[in-house]
Amino acid sequence: MLKTLARSCLAATMAFGGLAASSMAVMAQDKPGGIITVATIGEPNTLDPMAATGDLLGMVTQHFLETLYTFDKEWNVTPLLAADMPEISDDGKIVTIVLREGIKFHNGKTMTSDDVVASLERWLKIASRGQLVADKVEKVEAVDINTVKISLSAPFGPLPALLAFNNSAAVILPKETLAEPLTEFIGTGPFMLKERRPDQYIQLVSFPDYKPLNGDADGFGGRREALLEEVRFVPVPDANTRVEGAVAGQYDFAELLPVESYDRLTGQTEPMLTESFGWPMFIMNTKQGVMTDQDMRKAVQSLQNSDDLMLAAFGEERFFKVDGAMYPEGYVWRNEAGVEAYNQGDVEQAESLAEKAGYDGEPIRILTSRQYEFHYKMAQVLDAYLKSAGLKSQLDVVDWATLVQRRADPALWDIFITHSPFLPDPALIAPLPASYPGWWSTPEKEKLLTALNTETDLEKRQAIWSDIQGLIYEQAPFYKVGDFAALAAKSPKVEGFEASPWPYFWNVSIKQ
Amino acid sequence: MASYVLKRFTGMIVVLFVVATIVFVIVRIAPGDPAAVMLGPDATPSDIAALRDRLGLNQPLLVQFGVYLGQILTGDLGDSIFLNMPVLTALGQRAEPTFFLTLFSILIATVIALPIGILSAYHRGSLFDQASTTLAMFAASVPSFWLALILIQVFAVRLGWFPVAGYGGPDTTLLERLHHLVLPAVTLGVVSSALILRFTRASMLDVLDDDYIRTARSKGMAETPVILKHAFKNALIPILTVIGITAALLISGAIVTETVFGLPGVGNLVVSAVMRRDYPVIQGALLVVAALYVLINFAIDMLYLVIDPRVRF
Amino acid sequence: MAVSVAARSTRTAGIAKILRERKPLALGAALLLIIVVLCVFAPLFAPYDPNKLSIANRLIAPGADHLFGTDEFGRDVFARAIYAGRTSLMIGAAATIFASVIGIALGLVAGFFRRTDVVIARVIDAMMAFPDILLAIALVAALGPSAATVIVALGIVYTPRLARIVRASTFVIRELPYVEAARALGVPTWRILYRHVLRNLLSVIMVQATFIFAYAMLAEASLTFLGVGVSPDIPTWGTMISAGRQYVGQADWMTVFPGLAIILSVMSLQLVGDGLRDLLDPRLRKDL
Repeated sequence: MLKTLARSCLAATMAFGGLAASSMAVMAQDKPGGIITVATIGEPNTLDPMAATGDLLGMVTQHFLETLYTFDKEWNVTPLLAADMPEISDDGKIVTIVLREGIKFHNGKTMTSDDVVASLERWLKIASRGQLVADKVEKVEAVDINTVKISLSAPFGPLPALLAFNNSAAVILPKETLAEPLTEFIGTGPFMLKERRPDQYIQLVSFPDYKPLNGDADGFGGRREALLEEVRFVPVPDANTRVEGAVAGQYDFAELLPVESYDRLTGQTEPMLTESFGWPMFIMNTKQGVMTDQDMRKAVQSLQNSDDLMLAAFGEERFFKVDGAMYPEGYVWRNEAGVEAYNQGDVEQAESLAEKAGYDGEPIRILTSRQYEFHYKMAQVLDAYLKSAGLKSQLDVVDWATLVQRRADPALWDIFITHSPFLPDPALIAPLPASYPGWWSTPEKEKLLTALNTETDLEKRQAIWSDIQGLIYEQAPFYKVGDFAALAAKSPKVEGFEASPWPYFWNVSIKQ
Repeated sequence: MASYVLKRFTGMIVVLFVVATIVFVIVRIAPGDPAAVMLGPDATPSDIAALRDRLGLNQPLLVQFGVYLGQILTGDLGDSIFLNMPVLTALGQRAEPTFFLTLFSILIATVIALPIGILSAYHRGSLFDQASTTLAMFAASVPSFWLALILIQVFAVRLGWFPVAGYGGPDTTLLERLHHLVLPAVTLGVVSSALILRFTRASMLDVLDDDYIRTARSKGMAETPVILKHAFKNALIPILTVIGITAALLISGAIVTETVFGLPGVGNLVVSAVMRRDYPVIQGALLVVAALYVLINFAIDMLYLVIDPRVRF
Repeated sequence: MAVSVAARSTRTAGIAKILRERKPLALGAALLLIIVVLCVFAPLFAPYDPNKLSIANRLIAPGADHLFGTDEFGRDVFARAIYAGRTSLMIGAAATIFASVIGIALGLVAGFFRRTDVVIARVIDAMMAFPDILLAIALVAALGPSAATVIVALGIVYTPRLARIVRASTFVIRELPYVEAARALGVPTWRILYRHVLRNLLSVIMVQATFIFAYAMLAEASLTFLGVGVSPDIPTWGTMISAGRQYVGQADWMTVFPGLAIILSVMSLQLVGDGLRDLLDPRLRKDL
């Protein structure tokens, strides 16, 4: 009996010692400190990532609103609020997700499956990416307090990726705060919203009760810690002012700078170049107007000289790559299907194709905005190309809000300009679904897209994607211009920052 | 005198009414359906119809006008579409930077222009006079945004003496905020100083020629007291006029300056509102700014009465 | 015949004398003439096609080949500047004409017909309560940005200025004895307005119009810079400065030269305006 007592005493001492040691470790950890000022490209028109899309919105909201899943360094889906990867039934129609326990919202409430079900239902209803899935979803229900079940009418491979995306995001919000429109932005993130003054600043402060995942950080996934006391987003729509502010030390981080300002980023800042950040594209209106004719689209396609376009937009070759494949080297989705139609710069072929299409001199309306300067620059070059082939063209330059509005109406444009980051799953590429402006919908494409979405085997999906890429070059619904690098500026005082398409500031600290 | 004040007052009310009417017309001549604009591209026709009903857009124009006037009189300027707050609140939040900027600019402009204007008039025809007049003309021809870009490049980027843009964050002190306002105020001040200088000079010239000044001189009074006491006091009225006009010009200039320097003022709000098609804000800003101008002018008129009881219309 | 030849040469000699004596007016007029000629005859003076992209030649500093350097697309800045000048001058002129025609009409009617004055005077006061850029922005926003709407908007903004001056002068002239006499004699009103009133106002109107032209050019540049003016692909001095803003650090010639062009144009207009005013009626000096 003495031995048992001794053993229990020993066990207790060890337990106590362990407890003491770990609590000391917690105390030794620094209290969050420092404020970081981030200059952004503008003011988001809402803080509700389900109500609108946009990289800016996703970047800001991902700090305080979280999704069930997210992406790791390799762009694989990894759990965030979910405890593990989803369990998918053999027929692919039942998706079961177990939630992590003890996750607190910023208002003190603990997250349960009720909150998840309500949030997902709202996402399916109002978010553009949610609406893509909505017709395949039969039911979302809570199995128990920590488990959620989604019943589908047909298997849908990209579902986990869609649940991981921070754009049109399936963020988990407390059930009571759900409203149209959302007025309280309570989430589970490592930061919480303190104050938003539109056009002035968005203040996020660290959330003391955040429960990070164990282990290390891995891309967007893994351990997230708010090492900063406050993250302050400041809208600075003028790119030049962002540059100057960074150089002067006014901004600790400035995003999306014109790549030509690279050499100016000295003094109190240093440049951060993210190669293969994204790809610009010219989207053509296949529903109405002069671009409905495939020969006209192929005419425009053959005119494109990507060397010139990318040089005009990005200034120096170290900032871009002329490459026709939809994915750069190193991505599992890369293939070379159809790239002979890329970067032709062939005026004669364009002229003959236009003639074949019976082009009657109708002006081709190019819709663009100056919010992203490189869009505008490429638009000007495109305008010049069209004119060089004897085609009439018209440049419509509007602000981004108007562009988003206009592109929804097929009567108002023939080509519009946008860009995309390299998405972890080609099913996420924006202009692929027929609902996206451009409205590409041919029987061949729909068949391939459905196959892409329902197939779950990676190799088979890669082959399907290769066919889709070939089809993109054959039917020319849009033209990929090239790969571009993104330039941001970061103060040397900022530590722990990892580059990504949507900069995040957890695990980041600032030297005081 | 009382009847004069009453006459001016009623005149002011009428002008305010016309101002409100003009704003009403401007905001409604925009083509397209404001309800559709507000709801965005995903709106269904039934959503749009519901909003039109809620905003009273289906009522006859005269009824809408009546409602509009009623709302203004009770201080209800509507809600901003983009910012999700009452327009008056949004304007209130932005008032501080614009107010300080305007004040600061008038200060700089007056400090530069007044002495130079007086001296130029006194030494009329001299090299100093010619130089200052030419400089004033040059300053009046400079586009304020161009000047702003150059000042930013030289003083903020290269020399680092001032911040590049912005008004500071939530925890910036007032003094630091004024530091942010120096370059913008200089930009605005330079352009309006030209106007004040020309006017001061012209008024001083007139007054200096006046008989009673010559009489005072011929009586043998010392130069400086003559000028300061008689000339300046009489030139004060037109100078006050020009300061009043300048206030209006400054509000115009502030729009451009605030945009270039990223100051969260009323001017910047208006430009953003135009970009975002936030009609309630555009409407509210037009009303408030114009009303302020009318009120300021009225106040200046009343000030004249105090300064020079001889003024009668 | 000999008499009229002598008269003509005296007139020419008269103008030359005026120009010699009033140096600012001469300077302003000369400057304005140079600018207008360069811009109006831009095709003759432009060394390159202002719209031709030449990406290999981008951002070259001013030098022998390119007087004002090249922009981010390799286009010659001097060529673009004079072509842009055409548009800027055209918009300024058109807005001025618009403001003048409507302003004069309103002013005459208000000044002559007392009963309409009650309404018109208030409308003029109300319109002048709006700062010009603010009103212009609102109008352009309402009508949609294009060169035409900018002209209309600026025209509307500057109409009150002219209307007010014409109105005030018409009040005075209306009471003059010979005008009263003409009315008593039954001379039709339009003739009175045209022969007596307008003729006397010509100098005032010319001076004011010159200034309006100057303000309109500055306003157009500001509007375009803000993004609510002419579409950015139509070159005006405002769009050039706006486009060059991004390159201020590395290629300041893109912003400096169009800026100087605006300054010189506006300055020359002001010199001419001042000079005309001094010449035609020194009493007007007090008015702005």
